[in-house]
Amino acid sequence: MCLGLEGTAHSFGAGVVTDDGKVLSNVWDMLSPREGGIHPREASRHHAELGPSIVKQAIEKAGVQPQDVDLIAFSRGPGLGPCLRVTATIARTLSLHLGVPLVGVNHCVAHVEIGCLESGFQDPVTVYVSGGNTQIIAFAGQRFRTFGETLDIAIGNMLDTLGREIGMRFPAGPTIEREARRGERYYQLPYSVKGMDLSYSGMLTAAKRLYQEGIPIPDICHSVQETAFGMLAEIAERAIAHTKKRELLLTGGVARNNRLTEILKGVAQRHSARFHRVSPPLAGDQGAMIAWTGILQFKAGDHLQVPESHVLPKWRTDEQDIIWRRG
Amino acid sequence: MEEGVGVVNEEIWALGAESVILRVRRWGRTLIEKRRRAKPYLLPEIDSLLRRQRTNRECRMLNRVRRLGVRAPTVYAVDWSSYSILMDFVQGEQLKVIAQTCSDDDLMDLCKEFGRMLGLLHTGGVVHGDPTTSNIIVDPQRRLWLVDFGLAEWNATVEMMAVDLHLVRRTLETTHWDRQEIMLDAVLQGYWDQMASSADEILSRMEEIRERGRYH
Repeated sequence: MCLGLEGTAHSFGAGVVTDDGKVLSNVWDMLSPREGGIHPREASRHHAELGPSIVKQAIEKAGVQPQDVDLIAFSRGPGLGPCLRVTATIARTLSLHLGVPLVGVNHCVAHVEIGCLESGFQDPVTVYVSGGNTQIIAFAGQRFRTFGETLDIAIGNMLDTLGREIGMRFPAGPTIEREARRGERYYQLPYSVKGMDLSYSGMLTAAKRLYQEGIPIPDICHSVQETAFGMLAEIAERAIAHTKKRELLLTGGVARNNRLTEILKGVAQRHSARFHRVSPPLAGDQGAMIAWTGILQFKAGDHLQVPESHVLPKWRTDEQDIIWRRG
Repeated sequence: MEEGVGVVNEEIWALGAESVILRVRRWGRTLIEKRRRAKPYLLPEIDSLLRRQRTNRECRMLNRVRRLGVRAPTVYAVDWSSYSILMDFVQGEQLKVIAQTCSDDDLMDLCKEFGRMLGLLHTGGVVHGDPTTSNIIVDPQRRLWLVDFGLAEWNATVEMMAVDLHLVRRTLETTHWDRQEIMLDAVLQGYWDQMASSADEILSRMEEIRERGRYH
């Protein structure tokens, strides 16, 4: 049984998962600033202050004793340095205190693996969309390769920045989705797909301009969603056509969006691929995904010694050998 | 149902992300018809805009790049009701496929030539927009042809050219991971041979782009 700690950005989470993939608990808390964005130091303070009690809750909710935990996994990267370091410190302490092995997990890989656990998918093309990431990931040659990604800002970041500009609270995604439903008119925005990558910064600038011009907020939100999701659908489609895989997985915080889900369902249908949207509790940043990936990794023979367990803030999805999968 | 450009007989040659590639017989010869079909899951305004824009772009670019000395299919007809383009059928194999079996020396020659062709495009102010190894056809005489210009743009800036090179590197990373280093070196060598010192600024911008999208 593994206790997984996730703290790469503004959320801190702890989850307990059994070796056969049962999620016994999954507790998290998200720092939601009253105004402005996330400051790395504030977020790390949040993790340091709430981390221990979140861990305690996760163990209690799982209905187990701390001694029942025989593996500690933590999000080793990529993420904000200060947040990663606090999380790693808690993980090392627990590992030493309980006398159990420590595993360092790649945050993006964990999103894919927990999605596979939930959906039963074997080898999907994964659309991973969140505040900090926009990636189209697929397994090839013993690595999870990023077939598509953003060339500038992540989709969630784009939505939050726009939201802040037009007076919405963080995170703005759900509000934008609600407003978009009332949108009637489509205003053309820069649609920027480059190969299998995309770019959102031009679209964001243009959307802000629409607001300054007095275009109704629902119309802006509608136009932004349709353009941003259309671009994402295109690169997902390119990845499916390119890799010839038959499963499409949608995960990450932005996976909550129903319009995005509908569009990607259409993409999957067009290519006779199965589709799954990871359920909200497992789609966002949380500890269960770290715990589950930690189990896979540990079973395949991978673990860390404390002195070498430094964090990897720039750890790319495709930098880790995926020793627990065959390709 | 969608109609093609007076098609007599046809077979599906390839299924792309944004189009169906048909091999058709016309005027006693074999040609390619590229059809951009509607995508019902997109907002209709966006879908028709993209189909129109990319069909338009591809036709214009195919003509333009041949004048720059880059081998690309000739366009014979366009049908705006079905967003289809009738063009030359290029006999040969995708570089993507060849790269799986050919020798290192052979591969480096082909990649160098690919780099040189990108240099020719960029010198003429054109970026390809999707320079993957699937979009390069190697013909039986070992000559390279560039296809799929739907994402191409002209009036290219340093940034646009650097993105083009970045995309080459991305495709090598994901699709040719085991030989990516020698392939990238050869592409950049060919590119530099063509562009000379004007490549420097573009290459350093390419490094910058690589860092930009990443977590820090």
